[in-house]
Amino acid sequence: MVSLDDIPVGTTVRVQDVHGADPVSLRLLEMGLTPGIEIRLVGRAPFGDPLELEVRGYRLSIRRQEAARVSIGDR
Amino acid sequence: MTPRPLTVALLGNPNVGKSTLFTLLAGIPTRVGNYPGVTVEEKVGRFLHRGRQIDLVDLPGTYSLAPQSPDERVTVDVLQGRMAGVPRPDCLILVVDATNLERNLYLATQALEVGLPAVIALTLSDVADRRGIRIDADELTHRLGCPVVRVAAPTGEGIGAVRDRMLDAIGGPPPRPLALSATDAPTASGVTRPPAASDAIARYAAIGRLLEGISGTSRPALRLTEDRIDALLTHRLWGTLFFAAVMLTMFASIFWLAAPLMDLISAGMDGLSALLEGLLPSGPVRSLLIDGVLAGVAGSVVFVPQIALLFLFIAVLEGCGYLSRAAFLMDRLLVGAGLSGKSFIPLLSSFACAIPGIMAARTIENRRDRLLTILVAPLMSCSARLPVYLLLCGAFVPDRAAGLPWLPLKAAVLTGLYALGVVVAAVVAIVLSRTLFRGPPQSFVMELPGWRWPRPAVVLERAREAAWSFLVNAGTLIVAVSVVIWALMNYPRDDRSIDADVTALRTTLESQIAATGSDDPERGDLVAERASLDTPEGLESARRGAAQRQSFLGRGGRFIEPVVRPLGWDWRIGCAAIASFPAREVVLGTLGVIYNLGDVDPGEEEGATLLQRRLKAARWDGTNRRVFTLPVALSIMVFFALCAQCASTLVVIGRETGSWVWPIVTFVYMTVLAWLGAFAIYRLGLFLGW
Repeated sequence: MVSLDDIPVGTTVRVQDVHGADPVSLRLLEMGLTPGIEIRLVGRAPFGDPLELEVRGYRLSIRRQEAARVSIGDR
Repeated sequence: MTPRPLTVALLGNPNVGKSTLFTLLAGIPTRVGNYPGVTVEEKVGRFLHRGRQIDLVDLPGTYSLAPQSPDERVTVDVLQGRMAGVPRPDCLILVVDATNLERNLYLATQALEVGLPAVIALTLSDVADRRGIRIDADELTHRLGCPVVRVAAPTGEGIGAVRDRMLDAIGGPPPRPLALSATDAPTASGVTRPPAASDAIARYAAIGRLLEGISGTSRPALRLTEDRIDALLTHRLWGTLFFAAVMLTMFASIFWLAAPLMDLISAGMDGLSALLEGLLPSGPVRSLLIDGVLAGVAGSVVFVPQIALLFLFIAVLEGCGYLSRAAFLMDRLLVGAGLSGKSFIPLLSSFACAIPGIMAARTIENRRDRLLTILVAPLMSCSARLPVYLLLCGAFVPDRAAGLPWLPLKAAVLTGLYALGVVVAAVVAIVLSRTLFRGPPQSFVMELPGWRWPRPAVVLERAREAAWSFLVNAGTLIVAVSVVIWALMNYPRDDRSIDADVTALRTTLESQIAATGSDDPERGDLVAERASLDTPEGLESARRGAAQRQSFLGRGGRFIEPVVRPLGWDWRIGCAAIASFPAREVVLGTLGVIYNLGDVDPGEEEGATLLQRRLKAARWDGTNRRVFTLPVALSIMVFFALCAQCASTLVVIGRETGSWVWPIVTFVYMTVLAWLGAFAIYRLGLFLGW
């Protein structure tokens, strides 16, 4: 599975799914990372973690640990 | 008969201009506090519209009504009318950020299902216009069946309309919920999703259909500028440099800009106590008022400049969107210690003073991270420890280089004490996060809000509110603690045994003088101390010292002597350590009183020199052995670096966590660590023959 944690900065990808059934996965869905949506990896923090994403026209920051739950496909 | 006041709740995501809207609708809140039983802030304002009184309840900013955090649970409870002390709202104002419509409508459409009349306020509509985002508010009103009003804070556009629509909506039919379709959330590869997850997917799909054809962006130019700012300020090098500059400015201002204000407050309080001294006859009442009550008032008011300045800074950083970026930049550094990027500002501020630092932890939404930050914040060496370090370093650390020719040993010790606090805090945070606070991995899902100008009214209100809540909630308790300590330090009091004590002191000094040779450099000091007993001031200081040694606190010092003996301390140091419970820097004044110097000011050079000389001359009772050696001085400094001798900090921890368990935990763990640290450095010093 290719996850959001594996892509280079600047890439736009499409979310395939958010894995896991715990509150973290629910929060990611609630923040708009739903299957089929396009997102862009805007940047990484100076130490490589967390990530900055553009989702539904706003900026969201998540740790690599959370990004690993988001599987992606090509746009 | 006047109709009953209406309750209207303000609900929205964080960072969407909710506080601004609150201020525009209701002005300064009439009530700020916590909801019963939880440390979630309750803010209520009041205004009149068309002759009706409206109580506006500001709910905590949340992303969802599927309750995961205490904030969200409070929000749901208020909406259901299950929150004690808050009537079920008559109407909801749903705050929706026009620049971030889809995600904001997620919460808003959940709220429409609660069955209460509602008005949607499209905040930041002016920003949306500039960004070329167009929203057909009329069509949205039509499709949602709920009035949608454009609001722009700089011009005040829409405020009147929100008030009107709100009153119109009350009594009308509740809005219809957005229709969700189960087919929007297909199960992926046969895995069944929890209902809340399916609901989230279906809701976003429904929002997409709802907005079809009525919202779009025509001009992405401004977005590009914002992208550039973002890229620069989160850049590996430039972003980090900018961050360092901002933090340095913030720290410098709470450390130095607050100092003249604090001096002014101290001077005012000194003037007031001098005035009282002139008005009241000498005796227990005057002593209680000046050394108990007034000292407590001064001890709490003095924190206000730092609190107000820090919250001014935080409000500006939050208002322009930088606070989240700062957390983003620092997260990796702190996550290793079980904390998060949001802990950075509270911990940094704690180097000036733990009290504003602990209060700044309010910006951490995650409760576990917040509590952990609060628990380790007092380990940062605050400005109150500095005089203790400086006095003892000055007197007992020799003037030589520490291995490297350019590094004086004094500076190395001072740096070491600051580093000690940071390292111990990291270790404590790691240990606590793996034991007491163990749980599922903490998520870090944080919005980075768009860049915008902070609104002065909101910024000032934030600083005012922080200072006020500190004075009202913590200040009163600090005064109470101060009075209790005063009583322990002044009672019991027996003049006959005080006289006996002074006589004994005279005899000891005389025998010491007889025992020292005429070429001993300390002979002069001993002779001077003996001579001072024949002056009225010297006698008064000696009597005060004797009284303090006989008080409950003094007895406590003797009582705990077996405990502090392994640290190389005599019972006087034990006394001073106990007496410094109101605030660490008090230890110097107490040492002055215990060593019969009376009220020397160790902050002044003269007082400090006097105290340093007296400490150097101090001997163990009945022997000629010095009390203060380098290992003992180091042991005291390490103890004060790690101990929780600051009643105000403990009071604030109690207030901010809403429980007395946490101040007790803090006090116990810090005192144990302080003892162990002091013991280790003392033994090491003896072993290495320092």
